[in-house]
Amino acid sequence: MIIKLERVKVQSRKSEEAINITPKVDDIVEKSGVKNGVVNVMTCHTSSGLLVTEGIPCLEEDILTHFSRLFPEEEDYHHRRYLDFDGRMGFNADSHLKSILGGIQCMFPIENGKIVRGSRQTIYFMEYDGPLERVYLVQVLGE
Amino acid sequence: MIDFHTHPVLIREFTEKYPNYVRVAREVFNIGNNFQPLETFFLQMDAAGIEKAVLLPIACGRARKDPVSSNEQVAELCGMSDRFIGFASVDPMAPNAPKELESAIARLGLKGLKLDAALQDFDLNDPAVFAVYEAAASLRIPVLIHTGMSWAPETPLERGQPLLLEKAIRRFPKLQFVLAHWGWPWVWDATALALKYPNVFLDTSCLYYDGPTEFFQFVFSKQIPTTLIERSLRNQVVFGSNYPRVEIKNMVKALKSLSLTEGCLEKIFRANAERLLGMGQ
Repeated sequence: MIIKLERVKVQSRKSEEAINITPKVDDIVEKSGVKNGVVNVMTCHTSSGLLVTEGIPCLEEDILTHFSRLFPEEEDYHHRRYLDFDGRMGFNADSHLKSILGGIQCMFPIENGKIVRGSRQTIYFMEYDGPLERVYLVQVLGE
Repeated sequence: MIDFHTHPVLIREFTEKYPNYVRVAREVFNIGNNFQPLETFFLQMDAAGIEKAVLLPIACGRARKDPVSSNEQVAELCGMSDRFIGFASVDPMAPNAPKELESAIARLGLKGLKLDAALQDFDLNDPAVFAVYEAAASLRIPVLIHTGMSWAPETPLERGQPLLLEKAIRRFPKLQFVLAHWGWPWVWDATALALKYPNVFLDTSCLYYDGPTEFFQFVFSKQIPTTLIERSLRNQVVFGSNYPRVEIKNMVKALKSLSLTEGCLEKIFRANAERLLGMGQ
């Protein structure tokens, strides 16, 4: 049984952004030595996300636009208060809610050393509160 | 556009280089966010449409063991990018404070003085502070002073009362005083000082509850009328975000949400800061 965990840094460059991380995850899987197993991908942050959808710009835009429609920035959120543990105001409830809605992780099977996924499936790191340097985890398990 | 109020306390590159940098950010400045590469600072400025940012150190070594960013650290960052404008800070209680300020301006190329009586633990009307003001006046640099409430621990509110500055403002009519955070919660006191004294400026780095836009909508339209800024203070207000306690883009958006004319916003976002900093002269 092989278990490998990689921490990957990603620098978002906008307030909100869908960043295609599929090639990076593919590469980690292929270099892991695992022939058959699974790969889990997870963001380490509660104001970013990890989701899978078709990899085309119109959908990237639709996701961000409609998440913002569901969770507008200017709304009556209880999170808008001083957070003593952070030494600053919390006013990014919309980012947290988008993260919950879109999810923070995904899993794919590995077969013959490669990820098995649908031809349209693309893995996105979703930035909802950027620009920031972020970290996501890729854990490969198998043999 | 210029952001007149930022603190370089979460620069990843400094965490290994300066041993006490992390402790100061966590325990003295009191901020829990992740350290970020310098690139993030520039991207945050870009996302807000900000071209240049004033970096503020706080020389609180006597009171808090280490400074919240040293003059040298600020100068180092300014050396990395012309998007940064560095201020100096000195401990007014140090016997050589005026000389140290002169040196920081001449040797390090810093452009203004930052003081915080609460975090640095000094009396704003101590004669030693006036000696530092005298030096700043001679150097023709602006003085940005913390007023109002501070989120840093062990910072008594009474040290942030804007009216404590009136004596100095009167004594040094040619020295330009920038009252940080608009003096909140003493917003009217800070406003009155700016109305009465032309050498008083106010920065907008003011957020203590709710979100930036909600806070600005209340403080700058209900607490004091927006027309007061537009008509009476348009030449004495500078935009400040207080990044990284607040993301710059949110404070820009909040200020733009007020019913201020484009001409007034141009002064607040750019022209007043340029005048204070002697840019283009």
